[in-house]
Amino acid sequence: MLPALMLALLASSPLGGGEQDAATPRAGEVGGPGLALIAAKILSATLDGRGVVDNAVLLVRDGRIEALGPRRSTEIPAGYEVVDLGARWLMPGMIDLHTHIGGTGDINDMVYQTNEGLRVSTAVVPHNPAIEKDVQAGITTILFIPGSGTNIGGQGILLKTGLDTFEQMRLRDPGSLKIAQGDNPTRWGYGMGRAMMNFHIRTAVRKGLAHARARIQEDDGRPRDTVDIQYEVFEALVDGSTQVSTHTQVYQLVMNTIRILKGELGIDVYIDHGEWAAHKLAPFAQRMGVAAICGPRIIDTFESPRSDTDGAILSVPGEYKRKGLERVGFNTDAPVVPGEELPLQAAMGVRYGFDASHMDHLRGLTIVPALVAGIADRVGSLEPGKDADVIVLSGDPADPRHGIERVYIEGQLVYRAPDGTEGPRLW
Amino acid sequence: MNSYHSRSLCHAALRTAACATLTLSLAAFPGGEPPTAGMPGAAGLALVARKALVMPFEGPQVVDNAVVLVRDGRIEAVGPRSATQIPAGYEVRDLGARWVMPGMIDLHSHIGGTFDINDMVYLTNPELRVQASVVPDNPDLQRAIAGGVTTILYIPGSGTNSGGQGILMKTAPGKFEEIAVDVPGSLKVAQWGNPERWAIGVGKTIENYHLRTMFKRGLAYAEAWRDWEAGKGPKPEKDIQWELFRELASQEVEISVHTQVYQVVLMTITMIKGEFGLNVFTDHSEIGGWAAAPVATQMKVPAIIGPRSIDTSRMGSWVGALPTFDRVQGLAAGWQEGGQPLIGFNTDAPVLPEEELSLQSALGVRYGMQIRNVDNVRGLTIVPAVVGGISDRLGSLEPGKQADIVVLTGDPSDPRTAVDCVYVEGRVAYDAVHGTRRF
Repeated sequence: MLPALMLALLASSPLGGGEQDAATPRAGEVGGPGLALIAAKILSATLDGRGVVDNAVLLVRDGRIEALGPRRSTEIPAGYEVVDLGARWLMPGMIDLHTHIGGTGDINDMVYQTNEGLRVSTAVVPHNPAIEKDVQAGITTILFIPGSGTNIGGQGILLKTGLDTFEQMRLRDPGSLKIAQGDNPTRWGYGMGRAMMNFHIRTAVRKGLAHARARIQEDDGRPRDTVDIQYEVFEALVDGSTQVSTHTQVYQLVMNTIRILKGELGIDVYIDHGEWAAHKLAPFAQRMGVAAICGPRIIDTFESPRSDTDGAILSVPGEYKRKGLERVGFNTDAPVVPGEELPLQAAMGVRYGFDASHMDHLRGLTIVPALVAGIADRVGSLEPGKDADVIVLSGDPADPRHGIERVYIEGQLVYRAPDGTEGPRLW
Repeated sequence: MNSYHSRSLCHAALRTAACATLTLSLAAFPGGEPPTAGMPGAAGLALVARKALVMPFEGPQVVDNAVVLVRDGRIEAVGPRSATQIPAGYEVRDLGARWVMPGMIDLHSHIGGTFDINDMVYLTNPELRVQASVVPDNPDLQRAIAGGVTTILYIPGSGTNSGGQGILMKTAPGKFEEIAVDVPGSLKVAQWGNPERWAIGVGKTIENYHLRTMFKRGLAYAEAWRDWEAGKGPKPEKDIQWELFRELASQEVEISVHTQVYQVVLMTITMIKGEFGLNVFTDHSEIGGWAAAPVATQMKVPAIIGPRSIDTSRMGSWVGALPTFDRVQGLAAGWQEGGQPLIGFNTDAPVLPEEELSLQSALGVRYGMQIRNVDNVRGLTIVPAVVGGISDRLGSLEPGKQADIVVLTGDPSDPRTAVDCVYVEGRVAYDAVHGTRRF
C-alpha cells in the first residue's frame, strides 16, 4: 500500500512534475536533471569543522551530492530544478546501527551457541510497516542484525530503508557479524555463564580467522576445493570490509569486547548497548579505537545495582564522550525502542548530559555511525560524491517538537509529509 | 562527587550565578538548615527570570522578563519586571536567561512509597488506602523532583476493578503530614485491561457488573448519611468499606480511571459520569480511547494521557474495534482533534520514570498535538491541578498559591532543557548546582 501512497504523493507534488510518467527519472534521480535544494540551514554533519552552512544550497545530480555551499556563492547550473524550502533545515539521513525491523522477526535461531554462518539477509522485507516509519522519521540507513539469544547470532545487513527492492536496499552484506557477549545468551542452555560464553566466542572467532587467513593465502585464482560457509564472514572481517557489532554492557563485558575482540583477535569492533557503568572504559576504548553506539538504554540510574552513579542519572553516551571517547553514536534496538525514535535517543542523551554544544549529537546520528560501520564513503554527511540521502525538517532533530517534511534517498523523494490539508501526517 | 555535567560552559556559568546567593546563606548556618528567603517566617524572595510560564486556567499564560515574588511559602505576585516593584528587604535572585514554571503534577504514579499497593482481595476494594505505604524522600521521589515534578497522585495498582484510594502528595522531603496534599486523593478504578488477572473468567461484562454494584452500594451508603444529616432518616452504621463514597457523592474527591480502548472509555464516561454523576477523569486514555473524545468533551470528563503517547496500527489486533490507520496516532492529538479541552499527561511511574513527565508532553507535540495556548505546558501544570481538585493551591504561579516553582533552562517540552532548582512551598527542595545534580 505504501509504495502506492508514495506514488500518489509524488504525483501531487510540485516537485514531481505531476504529468510525468512514473518511469521518467525526476530531478536529482539517476538519469534525471539536477536538483537544487535551498534551505535556511544545512547541517552537513562533517566530522571536522562546524558542520553547518546557513542560507545554503545543496546540489544533487544522478542520486549523489554534487555541491554544498552558501547560496550567495554557489551557482545553480542551468536546467536544475530549484526547490526553495524556506526556513527548513537539511541534514543527512540518519543511521541506526542496531535494529531488528528490516523484515521478519525470525532472526534469532538459537541452534548453536555460536552461529556465524546465519544471515538475516534472508529475512528482509522492503516497505514493511516498521521500516516505513523509519523512512518517515528520516532514518535512511539501518543495520538489520540478528538477535542476542546466542553468543554469535549471525550476520547483519546494511540497508537503505526507503527503496523498493532488496537489491536497491542492500548497502552492504554482510553488514556486521553480531556477537552477544553476556546476559541474553545465558538463555541458550542451563549452566551458561560468562566464562563458558567467553570460551565459545574465542573458539569460534579464532577458528574463523584461521580459516579465512588460510583461504586468503591460497587464493591464487584456482577453484577452491574446500567450502565452509560457516566461516565465510571471517574473510570480510580479515580484509576489513565488515565489522563486529556487539551486544555488550557492564564494565567487565565491555572490557572483554575491547581487550579480546579488538586487542587479542584484532577485529574491527564497536560497542553496542554499552550501558551500566561501562563508560568508565572510555579512555581504554579511545586508545584501542573502539567506538560506542549507545542504546536502547540511554541512562544509568542511581537505583540500579549495576550502575555506579553517585546519586545522579547519567547519560551513557554523555559519559563516554566526557571521559574521552571521540566516536559516540546512538541506536534504538528497534523494536525495543521504535525505530522512528532514533533522534529521541540523541535528545535523551543530551537531556542527561551529552555535550551538544558542537552539534555532536547530530554526528552521533549520522557521520559517526557511518564511519563506525565503514560506509562513510557513501552516507553519513552531506559532502560531494556521497549518496543524496537528505532529510528536510523544521529544526533540530533532537527536539521532538520538530517534524520531518521530506526524505530523499539517493536523490529519490521517498517521503513527503502531507501538509495537513490533504490528510493526516505520520504524526 | 559527580556534581553535574558541563552541558555547556554557558549553562554552567548561568547555574553558578543563579544559586550563588543560596551558597552565601547556607554558609551562614553551618550547623543546620537555614531559613532561606521565601520560606515561612523568612524574608521575601524575588525570582527574576527571562520567562515565567504562569499558567493560569484563563488569561495570558506567559510573562517575559518576569519577577515572581514569594513570601511565607506562597506566591505573592508575578508580573513583568518593568511593572513589578520588589519590596525592600526581599532577597533578589537573578536567574538570567532561565525560565520559571509551576511545579509539575503527575496524576498517575505508583512511586510514593512501597509497591504493596495492589492487594487483589476482592474484585473491588474501595476501602484500601495507599497512604499506608508512603515513604517520603524515597529514591524514585528524588528522581521526580530532579525532573521538576513536585506533586503526584500516588494510586493503587490496576489488578482489580477498584484498587482503593490514592493520595495527592508532594515529592519533596518531609514528614507525611507535611507532604500530604489531599487525602484521599482519588478513588482508583480500573475498568478493563488488568483486572482480568483477578481470576479465570473475568471479562468486561462481569467487571462492569461489579463496578456498578460497588457504585450503587457506595452511593446508597452516602445517601443514607445525607438523609440522616438532613433529619430524614435513622443514623446509619459506620462502615469503612463505603466511607469514601460520602466524599465522592459530595464531589470532594475524584475518580481516576485506568481506562483505554474506545468501548471502555465510553463506559467510563457514560457510567461513572452519566449514570452516577461523579467527578471522574480518564487515565491512560490510550488505544483508541481518543475516539470517545467528543462524548468526553460533552460530558466534561477530562483526559490524562500516559504512559503510552501513541497508538500504532499493530494495536488493532488487541482490541478489534480500533480504527485502522497506517501511521502513528498521537494520543494527545487524537483527544485534541476530538475537542477535549482538558488534556494532561502522566507517566504511570515507574512504568515510565517519574522525571520523564515533561517528555510526555514532548511526545504529545511530536505526534501531532497543536500548541495553541501553551497546551503542552498546561497539561503538566494547571490542567492536572484542576482535574485533581487542587488548583486552589497548585498548578500555576498565581498569587496566593503555594510557591512550588521549577527553575529551568527552557521549554519543559524540549528534552534538552535542564532543571536547575526546584522550590516547594518556598523552600529549595532540589538544587542541581550545590547539591547532587541528578541529571
